[in-house]
Amino acid sequence: MTRFVLRRVAQGVFSILGASVIIFIITRLSGDPVVLMLPPEAPEALVTQTRERLGLDLPVWQQYLMFLRDAATGDFGTSYRWEMPVRELILDRLPATVYLASAALIFSLMLSIPFGVISAVRRGSWFDRFAKGVAMLGQAMPNFWVGLLLIIVFAIGLEWLPAYGADTPKHVILPAIALGWYPVAAQTRIVRSAMLDVLDSDYIRMGRSVGVPEGLLIWKYAFRNAAVPLVTMMGVYFASMLGGAFVVEVVFAWPGLGRTVVEALFARDFPVVQAGVLFAAVMFVIANLLVDLSYGLIDPRIRHDR
Amino acid sequence: MTRIRKGVSAIALSCVLAGGLAAPLFAETSGALTVALAAESTTMDPAKYSAGVDQYFIGTMFETLVKPMPDGTIANWLAESWSIDDSNPEKPVLDVHIRPGVTFHNGDPLTAADYEFAYQRQSDPSVSRWSHFQANVERFEIVDDLHFRLHFKKPDSSYVANYLQLWALPKAYFEEVGDEGFGKHPVGTGPWKFVSRKVKEELKLQAYDGYWNKDHRPGVKDLTVKIIPEDLTRVAALQTGEVDWIDNVPPAMLADVKGLDGVATATMPAGNHLFLDMDTIPEGPLQKVKVRQAIAHGIDMDAIIDSVLFGQGERYAEVPEGGTGYAPDLKPFDYDPALAMKLLAEAGYPKGFEVNCYNLITPREPNMKEMGEAMFAYLGTIGVRCKVVNLEYGAWINLGRRDEKTDQLEGGLISWMWGQGVPSDPAIAWGGHLHSYQPGHGWGSYSHVDDPEFDRMIEDVNATMDPDARAEKLRAIAKRKHELVLGGLTTYQPLVTMAWRDDKVSYTPWPYPGFWRNFQEIGLKVSD
Repeated sequence: MTRFVLRRVAQGVFSILGASVIIFIITRLSGDPVVLMLPPEAPEALVTQTRERLGLDLPVWQQYLMFLRDAATGDFGTSYRWEMPVRELILDRLPATVYLASAALIFSLMLSIPFGVISAVRRGSWFDRFAKGVAMLGQAMPNFWVGLLLIIVFAIGLEWLPAYGADTPKHVILPAIALGWYPVAAQTRIVRSAMLDVLDSDYIRMGRSVGVPEGLLIWKYAFRNAAVPLVTMMGVYFASMLGGAFVVEVVFAWPGLGRTVVEALFARDFPVVQAGVLFAAVMFVIANLLVDLSYGLIDPRIRHDR
Repeated sequence: MTRIRKGVSAIALSCVLAGGLAAPLFAETSGALTVALAAESTTMDPAKYSAGVDQYFIGTMFETLVKPMPDGTIANWLAESWSIDDSNPEKPVLDVHIRPGVTFHNGDPLTAADYEFAYQRQSDPSVSRWSHFQANVERFEIVDDLHFRLHFKKPDSSYVANYLQLWALPKAYFEEVGDEGFGKHPVGTGPWKFVSRKVKEELKLQAYDGYWNKDHRPGVKDLTVKIIPEDLTRVAALQTGEVDWIDNVPPAMLADVKGLDGVATATMPAGNHLFLDMDTIPEGPLQKVKVRQAIAHGIDMDAIIDSVLFGQGERYAEVPEGGTGYAPDLKPFDYDPALAMKLLAEAGYPKGFEVNCYNLITPREPNMKEMGEAMFAYLGTIGVRCKVVNLEYGAWINLGRRDEKTDQLEGGLISWMWGQGVPSDPAIAWGGHLHSYQPGHGWGSYSHVDDPEFDRMIEDVNATMDPDARAEKLRAIAKRKHELVLGGLTTYQPLVTMAWRDDKVSYTPWPYPGFWRNFQEIGLKVSD
């Protein structure tokens, strides 16, 4: 088990380094940030001086090594745009995005698990078709549009929920639905087909024949095995929600990381973009590691020390 | 010694006030209001501001020596009086008497030493992105606690145009808390004092009890500024009562918002000025004045503003009404496609020509992408066939900027913008996009023009500190610019609409700095 974890951590570090190299090079191909920072009439001397002050006159490989050296000590530099330490900027925003992505993932699972399980059990029924319809609707509508619809209905129309912000638990409901509805279709499909396979297996037939109650059989014995492919994909879904949170964060004025990083990208705020991508890569690696470790809990046949 | 300027000068502000600007009827300074902006400042340190958006927050807490009033006149603010001594015209001296009794939010009195500190800070290129604006100051002289002089190396009219440049910064407080501490908890002399800030979320302010100006001050104790970038969400927050005031009502929703019960609006031209720039450096059709005039007559700007911006734009000819150098006889070009095609034929292009047309895509102003696309489409109808290239802001500004290598536009057209402020003063903008590019001198950083006469005229304006003479010289440039359609075909100024809950809020829009978002006068309405 320990060897497995160490191996996955080493792979994760390699992935993070790879992501950092790619983002470092791509940002520097995207144009000169100094031109965006200074007023348009700034003389060439000030432009050159600012470039030197930020170390942008150095060769890219040298800039990268300096970035790595500082990042290793937790220093991600100072934002060109916000003139504040990037670590502070990112760490202040990251919890909000993780919170939103987690809430969205929970919402998507709350829909997709019952949808998938019941659709498999009642294959071809009206519920099967209904669940498919609801799930497909989420996939067919872009999340910013869903967000705006939710605001019109639940904030302006019914006045049940706030239109923006992140002050109370009520504030997360609409953004979580907007972000979490999209993957429901895919997750439902995974659960449904895995359940269909499991429901056809011998041990389920055996369970039925010896009189195990249907609910227990489905939710305890069948679903537990059917959940493995869903759990496998959970890391990917979580990562895609972290990335996809940007649009939803803008719609609901949610103070998250995605909005910060994308705005930084347009402003060529290299330190923020680099740190944002790096943090996202770390989150992705951690999420996948947790998924790998959770297999053993769900399916005892999967043991990493074997 | 000749004193050429004293007291107040009147400059009319071009503004359309849909909601009415009655004198504020404030209750006692108590209670709380929540407002929502579409964008927020990146810094709260005036010495570090980099763009107009930074002044949204800075303008609430910090003040300048002179300031435009709601009616557009420019009044002495923290300056009790000021004058320019041009007895030596080559080395003028700006003489400023500070208003007595002004205190910072921490209680420290405002003195000349604070201005000396502000000057030093604003002229340090490692701090300020506008240090070049202090480059012509030779030295700062403190005469006494409330009196200082700025000695110039050479005349610099940008000082006059930019409200005497210097912000009031608290020297003693800054020395106590340092650069980072000041950025986190700024202290100024403004009507609002800092309480707290969460980036991307909110700024909390409190009315400053010791504020010096008893006639123009907030009528509410606590103000929370929320940041809501999405247009519909911002409007929804006003509708649901989550906020009391919003800025940037999107043009497409303006009619709906105006129709809401208990909501008032005010609409005014933004400080940004949009134009269609033409690269006249390389040999090609755009070098010919008749081609440029054809382009000017080939776009139906009124129709585009009506249909794409829902009327939320105002045409202008070089300088908007009320701006310095405004020439009443200059009118925007008429839409006349027949004349445009005739001019093209006379220029030697009876069948038109193909050209690269670079289109800026940015949310900085509403529907900019669509505005550019519509303009380029109109050009196609007269024979100027655009190969449209859409560019996001970073790519756009890098393409437009001149450097020593080359002019990257290669004879193309590009939608451009350059704020002249409110009220307009075009001198700095023209120095950037009408004066020819001169490496190392700060001229023509985004210019695609090479005209020695314009160079001479612009440099002359820059050396003229007398406001009246300066305005006359700017007018002469405007006329020549318009005639030759050089330095960009002026298209429109976006209009900005703010909306608030009329039953609760009393609000007077004060102009620049801050573009009406510094809340000099906002308060709770007195109930009957």
